[in-house]
Amino acid sequence: MFGALYAAEGTPPGMLADVAREFSPRIDIRSDRDVVLDLSGVTRLFGHARTIAEELRRTAADRRLRVRVAIAGTRIAARLLVRHRAGLTVIEPGTEAAALAPLPIALLGEIDPERVNSQLPTPNSQRSSKLGIGNWELGVGPVFRQWGIRTLGELAALPSDDLAARLGDDGLAWQRLACGEDPHPLVPSLPEERFSQSLDLEWPIDELEPLSFVLGRLMEPLSTHLERRDRGAAVLHVRLHLVRIDDTTPAVHERSLQLPVPMRDARTLRTLALLDLESNPPPAPIDRVEVAVDPTPGRIVQYSLLTRALPTPERLSTLMARLHALMGETRCGAPALVDSWRPGAFEMKSFAPVDANLIDRSKASGLRPQASGLGQDLRPRPALGPEPWALSPTAKRPVLALRRFRHPIPVRVRIQDARPDYIAIDRRGMSGGSIESCAGPWRTAGDWWREGWDRDEWDVTVRGGTTFRLFRARDTERWFVEGVVD
Amino acid sequence: MFAIRDSEHMANIARAALENALRDRKLDRTLTTALPALERVDEGAVVPVDVAAIDRCLQGGVPRGHLSEIAGPNSSGRTTLLLHLMSAATRRGEIVALVDTLDRLDVASVAAAGIDLDRLLWIRGRPQDPGLRPQCESQTDPSWGLRPGPWALLDRALKALNLVLQAGGFGVVAIDLADVPASTLTQIPFTTWMRVQRVIEGSDTACLIVASEPLSRSSGGLTMALAGRTTWAGASSRSRRLSGLDVRVRVMSPRRRVDGEAEVRALADDARPQGPGLGPQGWASHEALALRPRTALRPEA
Repeated sequence: MFGALYAAEGTPPGMLADVAREFSPRIDIRSDRDVVLDLSGVTRLFGHARTIAEELRRTAADRRLRVRVAIAGTRIAARLLVRHRAGLTVIEPGTEAAALAPLPIALLGEIDPERVNSQLPTPNSQRSSKLGIGNWELGVGPVFRQWGIRTLGELAALPSDDLAARLGDDGLAWQRLACGEDPHPLVPSLPEERFSQSLDLEWPIDELEPLSFVLGRLMEPLSTHLERRDRGAAVLHVRLHLVRIDDTTPAVHERSLQLPVPMRDARTLRTLALLDLESNPPPAPIDRVEVAVDPTPGRIVQYSLLTRALPTPERLSTLMARLHALMGETRCGAPALVDSWRPGAFEMKSFAPVDANLIDRSKASGLRPQASGLGQDLRPRPALGPEPWALSPTAKRPVLALRRFRHPIPVRVRIQDARPDYIAIDRRGMSGGSIESCAGPWRTAGDWWREGWDRDEWDVTVRGGTTFRLFRARDTERWFVEGVVD
Repeated sequence: MFAIRDSEHMANIARAALENALRDRKLDRTLTTALPALERVDEGAVVPVDVAAIDRCLQGGVPRGHLSEIAGPNSSGRTTLLLHLMSAATRRGEIVALVDTLDRLDVASVAAAGIDLDRLLWIRGRPQDPGLRPQCESQTDPSWGLRPGPWALLDRALKALNLVLQAGGFGVVAIDLADVPASTLTQIPFTTWMRVQRVIEGSDTACLIVASEPLSRSSGGLTMALAGRTTWAGASSRSRRLSGLDVRVRVMSPRRRVDGEAEVRALADDARPQGPGLGPQGWASHEALALRPRTALRPEA
């Protein structure tokens, strides 16, 4: 026996579900206004079906909800009835088809029999291969209207063979719904769980090392809880309640870590929390620790035997956290080009490599044998002179690299015949000297509306063989070394 | 006479015992001469440089699970070779990491080398040059005013290298020590490189040191000693431009026995708009691009 609750518009989210949970733990939340209950065995507690319906309505009224209630032997019958009839509707099990017969067929378009429960996406326009029920408006609905079928009883009375011959399994599935037959068993909606742990400390902690043991103790059950529910942590919240030393001491030191991927490994979570607290230590001793996570569906990873595996996100997150603590937040990551002509312009972004499985296979495979040179004669042989750098058609021709001085180094340059002739560098480890070859200048300028650049660039090779990129700032007439060709 | 022979005999026994102990702990490459040969029969055991001549000398590529070196003076092609190696690795779907001790990497050169930027973990040290400060960085880096010494920079870089190697999963991990003063490099304990070698032993990671001189001594897998000579194109002084770099690569085994030599040529980027230069970007503002002639301008008087 199933019951259906249908609330008026404007019902606050979760209110109807709370009412339903007072009667049965097995409920299916279709929407904020539409909830289905499994009332099997509830009659022993509340009495007859009509009594249950009255209790449901009274409980909802106590919470200032206006609801319709229907109780039937199947879920689909209860849902159809509750949408059509106001007040209380109770039908005996086995009489669903007769009770549904006078109902308008358009009701089938209002319900969503395809969706298993509210946690799954709603198929709107595509046929479901699992249940064989397609969209009403885009599928059989217009056909039935064209046939002149107005009620569920008329649809139920159609010959099944002829219906299947014309509409296939889709038509039969809708006919079974019109007869009040459920397409699948009820899948109860689980209440939203809170994943958190806390611990009151007997003695305040003022160092991170003992805190790591406390965090480890809290993370273990949290990780187990997440694993049982197949959930991962999207955000990790650490709340440290502090001992009030003076008026300026905050009561709570709170940190939230946005994790790159859902993860639930206790050691990884503990390490990430600790590394974050190392960078942002609490200002006072701690007397209570709370850890909570924002759950998200667990990560499903398909590994490949054909491509080299990347480090796991947990390991990568830990590595990045350690590197950030060691080198600084802005000093580690993946470089990215920016849309600018400014020499040396770049930006840093987080290092999050995409799995090679997602790379085009033709790009990932077939490169190694050609690129490695294996299968060829690998015996060293005397060089016959410079040969082209590229090896295979897929190999990329290299470009001379520059070692860029992030702060250009001021130098003194002697000019002869309007060209650099001698360079003096007052920097240990860098030798200047007379210039043997040079090319330039190339004048570049930009960002004149703010502090931009305006300069002439030269490529020069000094006597020792080092090739520099020089530039002369046109506004100050000073010379700088921007980098070394290497 | 006999006393001397006895003492020599005892010394030999002690030395043999010491060498056996070192060999048991896989530390034998420091003191003993009988080095086990590198087995690079499996193509997965090497990281190809993607240059035929160099790969022939390397017997397929830079060995994984070993510490190798790229050594050479300025303008010898060290960075070009490293970026090319990393480019080949990222095209195969691997991820690579560079510990940039003095923050010398030019991102435009990285992009021009064909490295998948999303697959490069760039760990930037801090530049030591108190020259002209770029406006963009001084505003974004709150710790700009800190001036750590060279040893502090090197120490952090080595720690970062250790972290990356211990994390695992990287195809190529390189540390750039090319511009670190020699006096600072000599302060590195020789056991540092032995520890690095132990960390990556048996892993799929090829670790590379880029430096002016070979550093890792016998703990390294291979050493590529580079020497370079820039080449210029253009008949007249006004049409002259940097055209490339001839690089001579000498591949040496850990015991400094030359395994092979190769000469290769790296070319300057011809894709740069309207003329010579190095990087694909950053050469001109839009207005300068439109006005730039194919040959160089004569400087102002």
